Amino acid sequence: MTALAAAPAAPKTKRAAPGARWLLRLHRPALYLWIGLVAVLAVGLLWLWGPMTDSAAAAWRQYDRACRNGDLCQYDQNAIVRYKSVYMYTTGALTGLPFLVAAWAGASLFGRELEHHTAQLAWTQGLSPARWLATKLVVPTVLVAAGTGLLVTLHRLMWTAGDGRIDTAKSWYDNTTLHTNGPTTVALALTGLAGGALAGLLLRRTLPALALALGFVAAARVLADQAMPHLWPAVTEVTGLGTGYTGTGLGVDSGLVTSTGAHVADPGCGPTSVSPACDAVYARLDATGFYTTYHPESHFWPLQLTTTALVLAVAVALTVAAFVLLKRSTAVVPRAGGKAAV
Amino acid sequence: MTAVTEQGPPGGPVRGNGVDGPADGRTGWGTARTVLRLHRTALLVWAAAVLLLSGWVVWLTEVAVEDELATWEACERARQDFCDMTLGWVGYSEALGWAGLLISWFFLAVAAFAGSALIGRELENGTARLAWSQGITPARWLRAKLAVPALAITVGATALVLVYRWAWNAHRNLTYNGWMGDDAYLSRGPAALAYALCALAVGVLTALLLRRALPALAVSVATSGLLEFVLARYRDSFWPAVTRTSTVEGVSPPDTAWELENGALIHGRRTPDVDYWSCGDGTAAETRRCLDDLGVTGYYTTYHPESHYWPLQLVETGIVLAVAALATAAAFLLLRRRTATAATP
Repeated sequence: MTALAAAPAAPKTKRAAPGARWLLRLHRPALYLWIGLVAVLAVGLLWLWGPMTDSAAAAWRQYDRACRNGDLCQYDQNAIVRYKSVYMYTTGALTGLPFLVAAWAGASLFGRELEHHTAQLAWTQGLSPARWLATKLVVPTVLVAAGTGLLVTLHRLMWTAGDGRIDTAKSWYDNTTLHTNGPTTVALALTGLAGGALAGLLLRRTLPALALALGFVAAARVLADQAMPHLWPAVTEVTGLGTGYTGTGLGVDSGLVTSTGAHVADPGCGPTSVSPACDAVYARLDATGFYTTYHPESHFWPLQLTTTALVLAVAVALTVAAFVLLKRSTAVVPRAGGKAAV
Repeated sequence: MTAVTEQGPPGGPVRGNGVDGPADGRTGWGTARTVLRLHRTALLVWAAAVLLLSGWVVWLTEVAVEDELATWEACERARQDFCDMTLGWVGYSEALGWAGLLISWFFLAVAAFAGSALIGRELENGTARLAWSQGITPARWLRAKLAVPALAITVGATALVLVYRWAWNAHRNLTYNGWMGDDAYLSRGPAALAYALCALAVGVLTALLLRRALPALAVSVATSGLLEFVLARYRDSFWPAVTRTSTVEGVSPPDTAWELENGALIHGRRTPDVDYWSCGDGTAAETRRCLDDLGVTGYYTTYHPESHYWPLQLVETGIVLAVAALATAAAFLLLRRRTATAATP
């Protein structure tokens, strides 16, 4: 290794630093697979957006006209079921993309190269470790961001087209739809890339790095889900004891309001208009009404953007950790030499 | 490679081999022990996964369901469309559904392991060849590589399926998905185990074909997943469905049935897309004339009653096990041809 390291130390030729072509050549199958995957999903989303949304909406109109009163009726059930399945497959695939990116980055892009020492070989060929890592992160970042960005845009357009026209369509706050309709999915995919880099450099083995990178994305996803409702001020609605809860959206908290305005837990008795016996229960608790703290649909973009920023911060932290780790592990030899000189 | 062979088995470079003298690794048990020791991390992960998953399912069914029952009753009393919006509150039904999906689809993890760590990695790094030079014949090596994981998978999957069967039956009024749903269909029968064994065989075969860990991982996961996807689409045709007809009114299937199709009989022939509902507005005579114009002579519905669960499940299990047997046979044939040509020069 030392002999190899000495050879390119004198850059007399002043050869231009290698660009990104080597990376694209090395991972050509992955590039083609990515393009194919994005193309297939994009076609699926376009198909949903246009013809399938129209036929499912038409079937629901048919149902509303003929079946609501419980009479014998016929409606195009297949159109509704087809919309639902294709929606489920495309949304599920889009939800899984960050995990796929993480698995590939951890195993193929970083872990394998470090396990087989081809990375170390590359560092002796005029490519500094930092530049090697930067290239390996920048080029896939562009491709991953472009691909997932296109798909979430199409998903959002498709979802908006069906909103209010298809009774069985997912609500804006349904967990998978909430993320596939906005940039958090892009941020999670980039976290997968950064997590793959850190996992590969940390473990230097292909399959454990694959597993750890998946773990990073899973953790980021859980963090995003838990943090999202608290990243923007929620709306609180107070209603009378007879009315019960109102408001639909991404829920944060709910319960009873007392006469002092304090929030207490709901014993689960229900509104007094439905169960009059609950009056005594509420009197004992000094409750005057119900409260719900939730996010209405108008909070979609603020919630999406703040969560995206949070997930991107995680991705940046993972990237910085990867660079620090790489610098420390490749700096060992010179530092030891320096100490010996002292 | 030849140098290693000449060194002989005692104290050879393979860790854990040759410790008990030359008999180790040459007997079936010795080879099995080598496989166990090499893949002990995977075995520990699998054991932990089985314990955690069954523990979670038991906890859901015994403990978490109490809160769920109370909340659900309150929601019902409130008659509000609010039950699905509380954050941080994971419904019993939803959580049980997730556990069911994990048990149904754990075969994908088996496919990943079999393609990459079990075989693909050993062929890519040449450690398989090293093992074959240590007195373990390729066929015995492959047999141990299949038998040990198959045993571990069988034990773990049987435990998971039995626990899930018990949990699913405990509070059926709280689970919204039927017996034919993705979460409850495979996870309650032998098909879950069959898919896992098939994934093992498919993973081994793809790894022997591709001889590289990561491509084999991807291909074996994709192939096993595709097999399940395709079979799930044709699942309803694995046993004859029941058809009920009526000459006077539309027929509805029993409560827990898996309805496949319903429609009208046009001159006695089943037709699913007839606009007979549009005849309903006028007087009885008008309706009759309208139906006669359409040629409606009756109505029908085709469905699987819940009692068809076992026949359907067993046919699917049989198909999947047949694929597994074919893949295993192909793997042994391929290995024999590979190692035979390698020996000739």
